[in-house]
Amino acid sequence: MIEVEHLTRRYHDLVAVDDISLSVKEGEVLGFLGPNGAGKSTTIKILTGFLPATSGLASVAGFNVATQSLQARRCLGYLPENVSLPPDARVEEYLDYRGRLKGVTRSERQHGIDRVLDQCGLVPMRRRILSQLSRGYRQRVGLADALLADPKVLFLDEPTGGLDPAQRQEVLTLIGSLAGERTVMLSSHVLNEVEGVCTQVAIIKKGAIVASGSPEELEQSVGRMGELHVQIKGSHESLVTWATSHSLNHRPHDRGGLVLTLSEQDNPEALLRALVEQGSAVVRWQPLSRSLQQIFLDLTRA
Amino acid sequence: MKRPLLPLFWREIESLFFSPLAYIVLFIFLVLNGFSFILALETAGGVVSDTIAVFLGDGPLFWLSLMVVPPLITMRLVAEERRSGLLEITLTAPVRDGEVVLAKFFGALVFQGFLWAPTLIYIAIIRNYGALPDPGQVVTSYLGIVCVTGLLTAIGLLYSTLTSNQIVAAVASMTTNLIVLIVPALADARQYTALTKVLDPLSFFGHFSTSFNRGVLDSGILAFYVAATAGVLVLCTRSLEIRKWR
Repeated sequence: MIEVEHLTRRYHDLVAVDDISLSVKEGEVLGFLGPNGAGKSTTIKILTGFLPATSGLASVAGFNVATQSLQARRCLGYLPENVSLPPDARVEEYLDYRGRLKGVTRSERQHGIDRVLDQCGLVPMRRRILSQLSRGYRQRVGLADALLADPKVLFLDEPTGGLDPAQRQEVLTLIGSLAGERTVMLSSHVLNEVEGVCTQVAIIKKGAIVASGSPEELEQSVGRMGELHVQIKGSHESLVTWATSHSLNHRPHDRGGLVLTLSEQDNPEALLRALVEQGSAVVRWQPLSRSLQQIFLDLTRA
Repeated sequence: MKRPLLPLFWREIESLFFSPLAYIVLFIFLVLNGFSFILALETAGGVVSDTIAVFLGDGPLFWLSLMVVPPLITMRLVAEERRSGLLEITLTAPVRDGEVVLAKFFGALVFQGFLWAPTLIYIAIIRNYGALPDPGQVVTSYLGIVCVTGLLTAIGLLYSTLTSNQIVAAVASMTTNLIVLIVPALADARQYTALTKVLDPLSFFGHFSTSFNRGVLDSGILAFYVAATAGVLVLCTRSLEIRKWR
């Protein structure tokens, strides 16, 4: 549904997007993650047809975004990072206008507006003037607009930005409920909140994709070198001596015991056997899985 | 697929009428025109056709309002939306750049129609005093206003697409309007014959004094305004596309 091949975008000397390739299949939810200024918004702006790429190809729903921009834009809904709304219109009127712009017929519009108002929790706000809405509600109006024409592909640029934790959860639940019927690409710089809704994750840093795959794949691929939390009954020194004698990389854990960093050659089973054989009562032998958040931080740290 | 021109146009009209600036412009405009009418009555010395000619073409206040009003209306149309991000939202909908430009142009033009409509009262006042104005002269004079306003609105819109700063857009288009109006007149006054030959067909004053104010329609002059306005609107569309390459 979304195909990106060797996409590059330069602003004068600055390379905002550097030769990225992506592919999102129908019904998938791609989490596009990276720190601020990594090129997430620029990529999304290219895909929505607002900016052209310096080089490379991008297509949405089979339409090239550069040469078949109108057709591509008919298939997509877009929530920009900063939702800008005309200050003078009412929520309902604005959505009606957007529906007309997107070519939604009158009867579909009436039905569609009720549907998106309901989906985005805006029913009590339908007669409010847009300039009087709080940031959270503006974000929802933007989302309602993106959903209005029933698009096949949704681009959501930081959909949870500026929302309080409860609203965040609501928006994420809504996005999760769209998966399967719609293809979604959402960007964020907060990883753990999108972990639950994304079927695919791509991490971008300084314009280039540094890791991609399903959340599980990502965890495995980056977390190969395992860490172990080991605790024994008795003296801490004997554990340190044991670790040193096996030339293991170790550091104390906050809650007692040691954290061992295993290399490829180390065999955890053999190590455990050795520890038990020297007479220690092992109370904890726990592999530490690095959370996606940690992977993300490690990958994107400068 | 229905074309989005109409909803875009109505949105423009709505936002123009909702903005406080519009009413300030309306106020200034009506004050200027009130004085312009008094001036016309005084200079014409009771001749009806001269009164109308001064009020709708020869008076300095008439040209002042023609020069100043379009930039004030157009300055924010694109510049403001570019700054606020509204332009991005509009242009990521299945809408052509040209449709956005046309909607903004006609929105601004229709709005200025509302500004000029009250000046018909002055024509009615002349009528009520028993002096019947020549309907042909009145109609062509207003047609002239539509032509000049259209061209100057397109120029204002062009500057608005080129910057995200409204003030820059307004000042730049007023300056352009001033040059376009003044230079042919100056060349004429200084009797630079060669220059006058080139510039005369472009002189807005000339168009009014030889055609619109006389109740005479000159197809050449009309064609000039239509072509020039269309040309500037094409530039506006191109300029909207330029955003992509900066």
